[in-house]
Amino acid sequence: MQSDIFVYMDSSSPAILESGPLTGKRVAVQPNMSVRGWPTEAGSVALRGFVALEDATVVERLRQAGAAIAGSVRMSELGFGLVGDTGARALAEGQADIVLMTDVMGEARVAAAAIGTFGFKPSYGIVSRFGLIGLVPSMESFGILANSPEEIAAVMRVIAGRDDRDFSMPECKTPDFSQVRENQEPMRGIGVVRECVEALDPAESRAFREALCRMEEAGLKVEELCLGDFDLFRTVHNVIGAVEASSSSGKYDGVRYGHRTAVARDWNEMYLRSRAESFGLLLKTYLFQGAYFQFENYAAFEKACALRARLLEETAVLFKKVDALAFPAIRQSFPPSKANSIQEIYEACALTLCANVTGQPSIVVPGFVLAEEGGLGLQIAGPHLSDARLLSFAFRLTNSAKGVR
Amino acid sequence: MEYEAVIGLEIHVQLNSAAKMFCDCPNRPGDEPNKNTCPICLWLPGYIPKFSQEALEKAALVCLVLNCHLERQSAFDQKVYYYPDLPKGYQLSQAHQPLAKSGWLDIAGEDGRPKRLRIRKIHMEEDVARLVHETEGRTPISLVDFNRAGTPLVEIVTEPDMRGPQEAMEFVRTLRTQIRYVGSSECSLEQGSMRVDANVSLRPRGSNQLNTKVEIKNMNSIRNLGEAIAYETSRQMGSLQSGEAITLHTRLWDAEKRLTVPMRGKFEGPCVPDPSVAQILISDELLNDLRSRLPEMPQPKTERFIKQYGLAEEEAMLMSSERDVSEYFEAVVKRNISPRTATHWLAAQMLPALKERNESLRDTPVSPERLASLLAMLEKDEVNANSAKEVLTRLFDSDQTPEAIVEQYGFKQVSGASELEELVDQVLAANPSAVNNFRSGQAKALSFLIGQAMQASQGKANPKRIREILMARLI
Repeated sequence: MQSDIFVYMDSSSPAILESGPLTGKRVAVQPNMSVRGWPTEAGSVALRGFVALEDATVVERLRQAGAAIAGSVRMSELGFGLVGDTGARALAEGQADIVLMTDVMGEARVAAAAIGTFGFKPSYGIVSRFGLIGLVPSMESFGILANSPEEIAAVMRVIAGRDDRDFSMPECKTPDFSQVRENQEPMRGIGVVRECVEALDPAESRAFREALCRMEEAGLKVEELCLGDFDLFRTVHNVIGAVEASSSSGKYDGVRYGHRTAVARDWNEMYLRSRAESFGLLLKTYLFQGAYFQFENYAAFEKACALRARLLEETAVLFKKVDALAFPAIRQSFPPSKANSIQEIYEACALTLCANVTGQPSIVVPGFVLAEEGGLGLQIAGPHLSDARLLSFAFRLTNSAKGVR
Repeated sequence: MEYEAVIGLEIHVQLNSAAKMFCDCPNRPGDEPNKNTCPICLWLPGYIPKFSQEALEKAALVCLVLNCHLERQSAFDQKVYYYPDLPKGYQLSQAHQPLAKSGWLDIAGEDGRPKRLRIRKIHMEEDVARLVHETEGRTPISLVDFNRAGTPLVEIVTEPDMRGPQEAMEFVRTLRTQIRYVGSSECSLEQGSMRVDANVSLRPRGSNQLNTKVEIKNMNSIRNLGEAIAYETSRQMGSLQSGEAITLHTRLWDAEKRLTVPMRGKFEGPCVPDPSVAQILISDELLNDLRSRLPEMPQPKTERFIKQYGLAEEEAMLMSSERDVSEYFEAVVKRNISPRTATHWLAAQMLPALKERNESLRDTPVSPERLASLLAMLEKDEVNANSAKEVLTRLFDSDQTPEAIVEQYGFKQVSGASELEELVDQVLAANPSAVNNFRSGQAKALSFLIGQAMQASQGKANPKRIREILMARLI
């Protein structure tokens, strides 16, 4: 079976629960999400031949809700990068109804914006990461692509909540996703970060302002706010992300699984060669950046951690004034399909990675921010655990745009 | 110039929790290789470490008995290095936010006065896998046994407060007693449940400076620790006298040659905060619970034993230095055995017998109840000391009561006057020369006659009574 979208498809037809909340839905996953018995190589030679021993908790819960896990799509190496991902195509071409993609710096939302559909990153810590072969543990989560906010809410209702196999999940109240359609609680106001708008080029800025006007026409109050440190999100993400990536990929040594070099004189050489042969240049460069901060410039890493805490506080201040913040999801001037270097990847994700740094939920809604060359996606980010409210808002916003209230 | 040694210790203690630190695998490193492993401790991709509450509590008890301040909030860091004993490229340890700080232990100083030695910090750490190198054969092979990977350790770092080998040895002994008391570890250097590294430097006596230190490792007994420190001190002294500078490095103690040799420089990797293990929070509730679980510690217990049971200081220390011994002792005394008898029998008979049999007070069939029954018979003169020793030997191998054994083997002491007088008369008749010797002033002859009488009674006679009767007859 060859597919330019899938690396693996389930040929068996699993017993489907006849009346589950997700019965009939085909879910595509990435090969860094464990499905028992499936090759789980996470797009890397470092995991060549690795077969998952158990279902990820998310996969298990989706199955229990009646969904069919249809296959796993192509992905960038260990989830770092944008051009190797085919998750959005699986949705766009009707091969899946729901696609799960890891969202480390916005990959799922960026992909959704690029094809004009919905993409969601939940609050950090409300979805179990058991069975997710991650790269940046403190920033990544399962991202969801679907054709409507209701479908995303249905998935969240199934997968969110405590899991006794993910011991890193904080104690918190899981948002209630059962009333996403019914919830009529109005948004007090939508904030726009001035520093973000100022960074856009004129065409992007025009498209974004038009979207804001349409939101105001729909009765929303849009308020411009200041976040002087806005440009730090990217740096903080890059430093902490690279360090965590360097640590968490330390386990790929070719000793117990994955690629091991054919010839080496001793184990040091075996490690060096196996890892050199396993990782692609892009990921290697990122890991090198991480190793640089770990070994040579730890002070800069500590500074990044302190800045991350400050950004969290500053964001919390904004959320006292407004219920949500609006951004474009992607930039016309930095297209994700052409992001081949670390710098280009960070440019392409500059507006979505803020939510990964803070751990806050964020949803991309299509059809609002429309530039000449296509939609840029309207990204709405909310405070921690406001996931259900965000989905309700996306639902109402979309329906108001359609003229259905 | 006169120099003094400045010594600080870094002590790794293996906690005896039932499970490993981040998974449910049994904490039994000695089992068949790679038996106690799971996807978590092999760090297979997709699995998330589960921090063990049991390991935390065992570690926290160590901190409390070493008088440390338990930090309400601590966290794990990743100590990054690549080696086949580490399945993930980093070791989980607490470099930035340790579990506890600022503790101390009082030891008996060399001048006999107590000396307080400070502890800088205590942090938790996972142990790494064990490597087995097979160098025989054409291709040398290195095998990895992951049974030990992820087992819980605490590392205790002292201040450089020790000034000589004796203090270091005494510190380790005291620390071992304290930790054994709370049941967190066996603390055996010989069996590897404790590892002690020493940092040694020299400075002119009276100065406060800290000079370049040398780390020494690989001492597998307290005696070796003392010898290694003494050797290293005189080695550095020699270097200084011949004008050589001391350089920061690590040396290994060679127990055969009794000297330290330089070790290849170890790569020191960075420590970065670990994002996967949640922060460790010590609540008031947990702290109170831990405090309530602290037993009476050896020092106050010694004082109580002196007061309550009238033991001599040395006896009281002997009975209180191990928690198991002290509890066993008190269980025997509670059954109306005189504290002196209990002390004597525990120290001179029970403990050596246990050692010989490789048993412990905890699992021996000779429960305090059984020993007390035997000692009660001894104190009531129903058996003599020799027979009691015989009975004790049998108690180890049988589940009969001491009374039944005495009955079955005829150990009952013969104290009846007529029986004993008859016995003595027979002995006197059979040994006229010994009688003459005694009467001509050779006191040794009395012991001989007592021995003969005891033999004739097959050891069952009451030796005190025999002596009395003999004396009456001879004088």
